[in-house]
Amino acid sequence: MILFVPINNVLAHGIDANTERFLLVNQSMAIGPFLYIGAKHMVTGYDHLLFLVGVIFFLFRTRDVLVYVSLFTLGHSLTLLFGVLNHMAVNPFLIDAIIGLSIVYKGFDNLGGFQRLFGFQPNTKVAVMIFGLFHGFGLATKLQAFSLPQADLWKNLLAFNVGVELGQFVALLFILIALDFWRRHQSFYSFSTATNTLLMTGGLILFGYQLTGYIINA
Amino acid sequence: MNDMNPPVPPLKSLIIATVFAVLLAIAILLSAVLPAEYGVDPTGLGKMMGLTALSAQSKASSQPLAITCPVLPTQIAEISDQNQNLSANSSTGSTKTAQKQQLPQWQDSVKIMVPAGKGLEYKFQLAKGASLEYSWATDGAQLYFDFHGEPLGDNTGYFKSFKESTDSQASGSLTAPFEGAHGWYWENKTQSPVTILLNTKGSYRILGLM
Repeated sequence: MILFVPINNVLAHGIDANTERFLLVNQSMAIGPFLYIGAKHMVTGYDHLLFLVGVIFFLFRTRDVLVYVSLFTLGHSLTLLFGVLNHMAVNPFLIDAIIGLSIVYKGFDNLGGFQRLFGFQPNTKVAVMIFGLFHGFGLATKLQAFSLPQADLWKNLLAFNVGVELGQFVALLFILIALDFWRRHQSFYSFSTATNTLLMTGGLILFGYQLTGYIINA
Repeated sequence: MNDMNPPVPPLKSLIIATVFAVLLAIAILLSAVLPAEYGVDPTGLGKMMGLTALSAQSKASSQPLAITCPVLPTQIAEISDQNQNLSANSSTGSTKTAQKQQLPQWQDSVKIMVPAGKGLEYKFQLAKGASLEYSWATDGAQLYFDFHGEPLGDNTGYFKSFKESTDSQASGSLTAPFEGAHGWYWENKTQSPVTILLNTKGSYRILGLM
């Protein structure tokens, strides 16, 4: 399919050429491949990863990490399944722009911005869940760009979704280990403002990148 | 330190952090991301660093493209044989048809690239009653298509649709119901370019991409 150079790579959490070829040719149930594609999507999707870093940056207890990540997963899964099964497609540029904003939001939140400016803390659990919903819609939109086989659609989807969670778990382990190590050093606290500022920068770049794509391709 | 409540910084450092993030993001977007991804280069830095070449490449595949392919020599021989038959005796029409069914051969062959998310038309000028035999296939992906004709001299935008569907290939023949441009509208709803190989034969004049 992408013989002609991946055309303006819309896909922040993209699906590479091989995967795309597989998705187009595959006509039936393929649990293994869909599991793998889902997992790979999560491990290589830098927008998801940035968001996850933002979410768990100040979560020190394992229990909290589990709660927040589960909420994110729940939101993610709901819209992925719902979107694909109901053939709902949202403009991928807009969805990715919102995902970029979700990173900016989390970075700003970690900077204590909401408390400082508005004197209150928006419910972080609700926010994570809502952004999970958007992240799932992005994925649903992308999967539907390929003519997925209707036979066994839900099985493939479920496999894909389980793969996404597995990938998220693996990615999370790496982030947690790194953060946990860093937290033992004073530099974590000295650099937490810088880190979250850069997180915002990353989110803003993604936002501008996708929004420009939307304007140009409109 | 509490899990739920990250440290609340003084307003000044919050503002500094936010402004810094916005400025850095804008600088990176304008100097690198937009030139490389879209060829949008307001600062000229992208061109200086050669980044715009990246987007020029992807633009090439977002332009419709039609490349005429040579018809194989054996096929040409067959066609000229037939033409001789035809001119020698018009009553050999039935044998000609039989031959045609045995060995489908084409007069013209063209590769058409439909950019991702775009649609295009490829047309032939046909006189009333003229025939057009065709067979096309994509490199695998399905395209929405509308095989239709527009009467000559009509400005109302009227067209007659012969076949409308979504498929990766189609073949058949058409006898033009009126004089005018006949051909396909193909729409690529996938996110990658799709190439069509279109083989045709008949008494027509190629109008090409439109």
